Amino acid sequence: MDQFLQALINGVMLGAFYAAMMLGFSVIWGVMGVINLAHGEFIMLGGYITWVLNKGQILPGRLEVDWLKMEPFYALPLVMAIMFVVGYAVQRVLINRVVGKPHLVSLLVTFGLSIIISNALKLTCSADPRITETRFGGAWNLGNVTIPVTKTVILGLALVIMGSLWGFLNHTRTGKSIRAAAQNKQAARIVGIDINKIYALTFGICIAITAAAGTMISPTQAIDPFKGPPLTLRAFSITALAGLGSLPGALMGGLLLGIVESMIGIYVSGIGTNLAIVAAFVLLVVVLITRPQGLFGGLRPIQEAEQL
Amino acid sequence: MSAPATVDLGSGVARTKIIGLGLLLLALVLVPLGTQVADQTWVTNSRLLQFTQMFMLITLASNWNLTGGFTGYIDFGHAVFFGLGAYATGILMTNQHAVQWPFWAALIVGALVAAVFAVMIGLPTLRLKGPYFSIAMLGTFVAMREIIRVSKPLTGGGVGLTLPPYLNRPLFYYLTLGLAVAVISLMWWIRRSEFGASLIAIREDEVGAEMRGINTTLHKITAFVIAGFLTGIVGGMWAYQNTFIDPDVVFVDSRTIDLVMMTMLGGLGTVAGPVLGAASIYWIRDVVWAAFFDWHLMIQGTLLIGIVLFVPTGLIGVFRRDRSGTSLLRLWGRWFDSRDDARPEPDTSPEDRAVDTTREP
Amino acid sequence: MTTTVNSVRPLLEGRGVTKRFGGLVAVNSIDFAVYPGEIVGLIGPNGSGKTTLLDCLSRVQSIDEGEVFFKETEITKLKPHKVAHLGMSRTFQVIRVYRKLTVLENMLVSRQWRGESLWSQLSPGHPDTEKRARRLIDFLTLEHLVDSPAGTLSGGQRRLLELGMAMMPDPELVLLDEAASGVNPTLVETIKDRIRALNTEQGKAFLIVEHDMRFISDMCSRVYVLNFGEKLAEGTPAEVIENEAVIEAYFGA
Repeated sequence: MDQFLQALINGVMLGAFYAAMMLGFSVIWGVMGVINLAHGEFIMLGGYITWVLNKGQILPGRLEVDWLKMEPFYALPLVMAIMFVVGYAVQRVLINRVVGKPHLVSLLVTFGLSIIISNALKLTCSADPRITETRFGGAWNLGNVTIPVTKTVILGLALVIMGSLWGFLNHTRTGKSIRAAAQNKQAARIVGIDINKIYALTFGICIAITAAAGTMISPTQAIDPFKGPPLTLRAFSITALAGLGSLPGALMGGLLLGIVESMIGIYVSGIGTNLAIVAAFVLLVVVLITRPQGLFGGLRPIQEAEQL
Repeated sequence: MSAPATVDLGSGVARTKIIGLGLLLLALVLVPLGTQVADQTWVTNSRLLQFTQMFMLITLASNWNLTGGFTGYIDFGHAVFFGLGAYATGILMTNQHAVQWPFWAALIVGALVAAVFAVMIGLPTLRLKGPYFSIAMLGTFVAMREIIRVSKPLTGGGVGLTLPPYLNRPLFYYLTLGLAVAVISLMWWIRRSEFGASLIAIREDEVGAEMRGINTTLHKITAFVIAGFLTGIVGGMWAYQNTFIDPDVVFVDSRTIDLVMMTMLGGLGTVAGPVLGAASIYWIRDVVWAAFFDWHLMIQGTLLIGIVLFVPTGLIGVFRRDRSGTSLLRLWGRWFDSRDDARPEPDTSPEDRAVDTTREP
Repeated sequence: MTTTVNSVRPLLEGRGVTKRFGGLVAVNSIDFAVYPGEIVGLIGPNGSGKTTLLDCLSRVQSIDEGEVFFKETEITKLKPHKVAHLGMSRTFQVIRVYRKLTVLENMLVSRQWRGESLWSQLSPGHPDTEKRARRLIDFLTLEHLVDSPAGTLSGGQRRLLELGMAMMPDPELVLLDEAASGVNPTLVETIKDRIRALNTEQGKAFLIVEHDMRFISDMCSRVYVLNFGEKLAEGTPAEVIENEAVIEAYFGA
């Protein structure tokens, strides 16, 4: 029972992280129709910026400054701000060229981007796994169940991020413009929304959120330049589970995947979390085949396949 | 009048073409003899290895093109068949518990394993469309790597397997050359057969094809299995030639994307496209790899973006408008355009839209 | 031998065909029959379920209730390509030609069914099939376009090509969805003429969905009228045009 409870708690924490991690992916897909295969790499990029700030590694491996060393969670706003600018620029230079084009174009272009980012990270920061140090360590013990403090902070941050994004999309003028652009580009243009600006803004915000996931992951799991793709795949799976751009769906999908992975990790011996990615994939294929519209019905059905 | 579907050889140029290809083939057959001449100044063993690798890539790209280019199912995890072929061959040849198999037998079984897996995974995934199929296959690929990694008793896990070393570059040269020629001929044959026309019909309009009496499931699976089987053979050959396999070298992320990139550069859905693309990318990469080792993957990423944005119809499309070819833009466009607000005119040819991509601000 | 029996039995028969999309009943319990050698029309205002019914009859869409028989074989659960093999073919409201294949190749791909064997397909086409395809292309006045990619054809020419593709397997029944929409008047006459010829000379049965009442009354011996998924009326074109329920559905009360 304790073991089950522990697995459940771990799963919920992992799941909330997944939900926050995949939001950027889902919103970019929903609004722009771009499947961002560099998603995991943006998470890693956020993680590395956090690491640079945390360790004061201004030139990684060459110049280390003591005064910089920031608490990773406090660095979060700064990381998000930097990555917002990065995202805005990437959208203007590259992504804008593939918006409205068939998905494969965006898949391949963002895949090229992911190769560039991961190898640039490898060149600048080496391929060694890195981990940041947080003062929010330790754990609470409730009976035989352990609740790690760091992961609780991550859980809280994940919820805050999801909540703010929801509030932003539903209750601000810009957020409403973004939703309008997602639903009907032409109509949004006609009522005077500058679609290019909205897209760049959306991409910037989504990349900022995505990078925040990198900050959140950095104290608990080592980051390395090539850890992106499994995260991208999970983001895709959860999007397929959730339906495009559905926030409650994202949370449910994230929790489902997190709990499944955590249960497998605990109950199926000798397998470890590496194989949990298989669970994500099986879930993805089963859902795509049996419920093409996603489990929770998003903004639009995920697969409007012609019925045979 | 030649048979109607023989679009690849126009009657007039056919003879010159055949003679040219014959001469090229003869030259390629003679290359290994160069190792015997003088003191290997021109043809070295490492040069033969390069050719061997190029032939493998040509074969792989042609196989990928059968599902990706002809049938229109863009497979992002095709290298899973390569990996299965490599591992099945490796496991049988290094069998610790029983008899170690000879290379040939292991190779055939390896390819069969890949083919059987193609049926198993194709039945569910080929029901998916567009990016969902692509990502599902990518997931298959990543999952298989992890499964191989944890199946330690059989696969050696992360440590990998060392095959009996057998250094005979000319042999592998001829093996891969023979396979490449066989596969290209097969693709050429398929393209002009009714089977190939049906595959293109599925790519162009799957529902229509089904309505007009084409058993789309059977056709898709067959194409997938052929591609999987042949890719498995290449995997097995690669394993033996490389003498060492582990999950990370066999299931390297970039392998499938290399194939996509090569086929795209050459021309998706043409017989010559993958050959041309694989050969060019191989040599470009060789130069880049030698000159900027640290940067070569970044350059490759940039190249991929460049090809997608600026040469979407491929070299074949640029030089010769092969009407049976297609472009990625079109292939996926059609399916997604149906839900996009900005629906392109049905009469826009892929070439027109290709120009559009470059113009878009 | 069986012809005498078949002449009274319907070629295509739907019994209580029902199709729902979520809460919307697109086609509600419709009984339907096409007899050999007939040209039957299917009309109704926009959104009345005509195309959905056609999709259900030809198995593009699964039906929720009811049964469909073709040549007295139940096809309710059959795969679309099997239905095609039985001798039913169709055209589509949104034209479906293979744009990258030439007119001739389009026809060849829609060939007659010769068994499931893929081996038989490894040859580059049967000479008889090609002869047949060329004859049909001539018949449809497309001979000058034989080697053009279908993507370069005009809308009307594509409709003709689609008709040809539907004729390639030598079907007994052809379902035509909007045979003449978007086609210039001269070509409409050609299409009508060709359909009539196929009907009288070869005894092909047709089921035609069309907006243009003149097209329907010129061509069809019997008409079904749908509205909101229900069968509103059935009879000869003249009877149907006089029917008050039909007038009301089309022009409002």
